[in-house]
Amino acid sequence: MVNNVCVLGAGSTKYGKLSESVIELGLDAAKNAIDSAGITPKDIQAGYISNVFGFADKQVHMAPVLMSNLGIPHVPGLTIESACGSGSVMFREAYANVAAGFYDCVLAVGVEKITHAGTTLSTTLFSYCSDFFYEGGNGASFPGLFASIARSYLTTYKATEEDLAHVAVKNHENGLLNPKAHIRKKITVDDVMNSPVVASPLKIYDCCPFSDGASAVILCTEEFAKKVGKNYMKVIGSGRGGSPAAVQSREDITTIPSTIIAAKQAYNMAGVTPKDIDFAEVHDCFTIAEIIDIEDLGFFEKGTGGVAAREGITRRNGEIPINPSGGLKSKGHPIGATGIGQVVEVFEQFTGAAGERTVKDAEIAMTHNFGATGASAAVHIFQKV
Amino acid sequence: MEKHSSTHERFIQTANNGKILANKCKNCGKIMLETMYYCSGCSKSDFELVEFPGIGTVVTHTIQAVAPEGFDDIKSYAWVVFKLKDAPISASGFLPGIKTPADLPIGSTVKVKGYDTKHGLTLEKQDL
Repeated sequence: MVNNVCVLGAGSTKYGKLSESVIELGLDAAKNAIDSAGITPKDIQAGYISNVFGFADKQVHMAPVLMSNLGIPHVPGLTIESACGSGSVMFREAYANVAAGFYDCVLAVGVEKITHAGTTLSTTLFSYCSDFFYEGGNGASFPGLFASIARSYLTTYKATEEDLAHVAVKNHENGLLNPKAHIRKKITVDDVMNSPVVASPLKIYDCCPFSDGASAVILCTEEFAKKVGKNYMKVIGSGRGGSPAAVQSREDITTIPSTIIAAKQAYNMAGVTPKDIDFAEVHDCFTIAEIIDIEDLGFFEKGTGGVAAREGITRRNGEIPINPSGGLKSKGHPIGATGIGQVVEVFEQFTGAAGERTVKDAEIAMTHNFGATGASAAVHIFQKV
Repeated sequence: MEKHSSTHERFIQTANNGKILANKCKNCGKIMLETMYYCSGCSKSDFELVEFPGIGTVVTHTIQAVAPEGFDDIKSYAWVVFKLKDAPISASGFLPGIKTPADLPIGSTVKVKGYDTKHGLTLEKQDL
């Protein structure tokens, strides 16, 4: 690699049920990131956009539309889709192009607009992210796929539905401190346990919401960042991995191979181990996902993620804070934006912009985001400067 | 439209006979579902087609409150992952009539009933 890569600016819209169009959301986040970086659009040499359901808001080929409205129509743009992992997969491509020396400064925007489609249509559209011939086509929804993973986990290990509930309670507690979170509501284990079943054994508070929203960051070389003179953080590790697309084809349903592969690459590149990570933003689309993530990322032994949640080890003031932003569970899950939103959280944490949810003395942090049931994943590690 | 015999069509035809169609790699012997183009073990693409009885044990399942479009006409069903009895592979399908997890304990036996154009690989519970 030619260049060290940094994140120089970051910004998000609020996540939730929003009235703006998918393009307006993307532009709002892009402007926030550009202003935060202290640059102008003329400094941007390429644009990377992540989105999944643009067609639901009558807009595909989104990158040139965004670049045109930023006043830089001649700057090349690329739109990337990798289901719920689109943002982090796109971040990796932006990172790789700056690291390789093609560009000094690029814009990365993740955006999604889906809530206007309603629950049944959204559930159907999301099912297209599965291996449809075997899963969506046989009646599986995404809550259903993760519920089948949860049932397998609860059957295999000494974990309970209450352990899953502790993940939801913790992430809602963090999301209360995030002004941009979709669901800012304190909940209890009893609230989760008594909430309606969505797909057994998962209940509504085990599931993230459908969200609209956008997040954006500016990636650049360290030389460029130093010239601008604003706060920045370094990208010190980047990994990508894959898993069999269909749950049925996995040797062990209670683990996500793409996470393990991506994390190993990122740890090796950064020269750190799980013990060096001060906090992590992980893919908690469902509570069971966070429990599996924190095991696959090496923070906990297999089968003990539920204990970690129950004992508060992953709370904001715990041994390894997980999802201080509120995670997908509370902050929300606009699927094209989520991976970039995680990077925005790390940037805000490292630049003194996280307010009450700041993780004390954090210097190295991780983002982990996957597509579908983990068929694709990306892990990044960042260092405070 | 020109009609070709696709991997999906062959899988569906076999399922309609209550069986699961698989590929057996002629190089390394690994067995995988018939929709694979290359062996996930050795990356060769020379396969022997093998039909296995569509009977297996439930590995995991879920019952959903909100179903995707096309399944909202079914009152209650389970989406099931099952391990084939006579092959080292798993498949997944749609099992109507399951209302609670107690109706389908892990390890229950299910068998392939057929392939429904609307609901995909359709299963039925087999009482032993």
